[in-house]
Amino acid sequence: MEKIDDLIDFKTGRQKRLIYSDAEIYDQEMEKIFGRSWLFLAHECQLEKPGDFIRTYMGEDEVLVVRQKDNGLKAFLNTCTHRGNRLCKADHGNSKSFVCNYHGWSFSYNGELTGVPLEEAAYQNNLDKSKFGMIEVAQIASYKGLIFATFDEKAPSLEEYLGDMKWYLDVWLDAMPEGTELIGTAMKVELPVNWKLAVENVSGDGYHLGWAHAGAMTVTAESDIAGLSVGNSEVDNESAISVAGMNGHTVLAALDGKSGYAFYNEYQMAWDYLDQNRATAVERLGEIRGEKMWGSQINFTVFPNLQFLPGLNWFRIYHPKGPGKFEMWTWAMVDKRMSDDLKEMILNNVSRTFGPAGMFDNDDGDNLQAATEQSRGWRTRQMDIYTNMAMGNEHSREGMPGVISEGLVCEQNQRYVYRRWLEMMKADSWSDIPFYNNLEEARATEDK
Amino acid sequence: MTLKAAKDEVYLDLQRHLFKEARMLSAERYDEWLSEILSDDIYYRMDMPQRRFREDKSAVRAPAKTPIFNDDFASLKVRVGRYKTGFVWAENPMNASRHMVSNVEVFETDEQDQFKVYSVVEFHRSRLNSERKRFTVGREDRWVKSENGYQLLERLMTLDDSVVLDSNMNFFL
Repeated sequence: MEKIDDLIDFKTGRQKRLIYSDAEIYDQEMEKIFGRSWLFLAHECQLEKPGDFIRTYMGEDEVLVVRQKDNGLKAFLNTCTHRGNRLCKADHGNSKSFVCNYHGWSFSYNGELTGVPLEEAAYQNNLDKSKFGMIEVAQIASYKGLIFATFDEKAPSLEEYLGDMKWYLDVWLDAMPEGTELIGTAMKVELPVNWKLAVENVSGDGYHLGWAHAGAMTVTAESDIAGLSVGNSEVDNESAISVAGMNGHTVLAALDGKSGYAFYNEYQMAWDYLDQNRATAVERLGEIRGEKMWGSQINFTVFPNLQFLPGLNWFRIYHPKGPGKFEMWTWAMVDKRMSDDLKEMILNNVSRTFGPAGMFDNDDGDNLQAATEQSRGWRTRQMDIYTNMAMGNEHSREGMPGVISEGLVCEQNQRYVYRRWLEMMKADSWSDIPFYNNLEEARATEDK
Repeated sequence: MTLKAAKDEVYLDLQRHLFKEARMLSAERYDEWLSEILSDDIYYRMDMPQRRFREDKSAVRAPAKTPIFNDDFASLKVRVGRYKTGFVWAENPMNASRHMVSNVEVFETDEQDQFKVYSVVEFHRSRLNSERKRFTVGREDRWVKSENGYQLLERLMTLDDSVVLDSNMNFFL
């Protein structure tokens, strides 16, 4: 492998293109990033009763997230401890046990091995079943409805991991007292794309909207949908910000308090909801977040692979499947307090804009696929590639965490995502990974 | 419910419509599809499947079906309008598409001029660097006979794949 420091240069916004194609680098990512980060598993609302389970991934490891009898949560590797078969093949459901299809070993939903066929005759009762329970993740925790887990017992707490990003996340997660939920099942798409290219796109790339999505933007504007005019040549830098420098997590946010619903056919219903609940949001979140951010279009990226967008109201996780492939799972997300009509409108809008046949989402796949493929060639993979737009605009703002640049068309966030990537790839353990939540701390920890 | 098979002439007529529609969609003649095939009251829906255990009793609490398409005439017109802008870069050069329609069954309904039509579509696309993509769906249609001939009133589909294996679904089935 190349010298790791040569792969990314934060100061110039440079990446070496082999990070999108190299198998050895990918294996390192699985160990150093996906093996140590807090990864999103499920929303609390998806696991209502004891025995409710969801099958998902942490990196390439398949896990089962299961609601327990005491209402707690556990997450297990979805594999039999005998000969390694997959234990559960359903995507979700309710079950009090998981029985392996291979030899019939049976595990309780609390992970204990409870049944072994021919235990007496074949094992002569010498099998210590307590040593062959399902393998649990190292830590599991929730933040305001979102369940995360990590394979690293030395990882910092989820709260510390999220850092001041929590201040922004609360704009969605804590604006209303009842909280949020995901509706419908995951819309799953497999793409021949390196996972980082999708994450960087949503984390900070307002630049591509006007061109890559020109077709969708044109027709949605024609059908008289309130305008988010983020074309390449009509950027309003004052009304939106890029926020990074919070342990790798990023935010893109408009600040008008209602643009989130700009791509909806019947946005008036959503705007009425915002009007009716604005006072509650301001009371719970204060002026800046309640007035300016709640209702605005926002892109959240929780490093490394969770992204959700209040306003457009989609919620997405990327599961890597090798250097050139991932599966992305998308849900519609809503406030529990919203009316059924509004929830249904949001679900339909998510599928029309960012579902598998979404008019916006369908513009991104080929571009990201081609960028991945074009990083494979012997000559191309040695190329440098840059996210160097709007360098040097970073500043602090009173009362707002993170490092901030004006506007949505700005590559600050991508630079910080790749900086975090390098910090984790270089570190032998969590004690070598810096924490920073504002400009001063970000500068103090640079090149550490 | 026992379904009563439609008369042979209705069957043949509707099958001709399905084949004509398939050729239209493969050739991306979407304006003709909107004006000649679809009723103004069209409801066009495709759902993602859910992989659940047969014996799982929690189905009543299962999440709502998530639509890939959930469209009426106006929103289908918006989708078609997007292709017509000339800015949908994924469709240029044009992808080669084939809609293969089979297993056609036509039944009468309680409405005198409406027919229930089951069919299966296997859809092939060749695109990009000779990538071959394939989708299959079962369709449950309702066609109505009007003075302008048969028009599609409702189409309900569930995708067979639980994971979509293409980078877009810039097509109609």
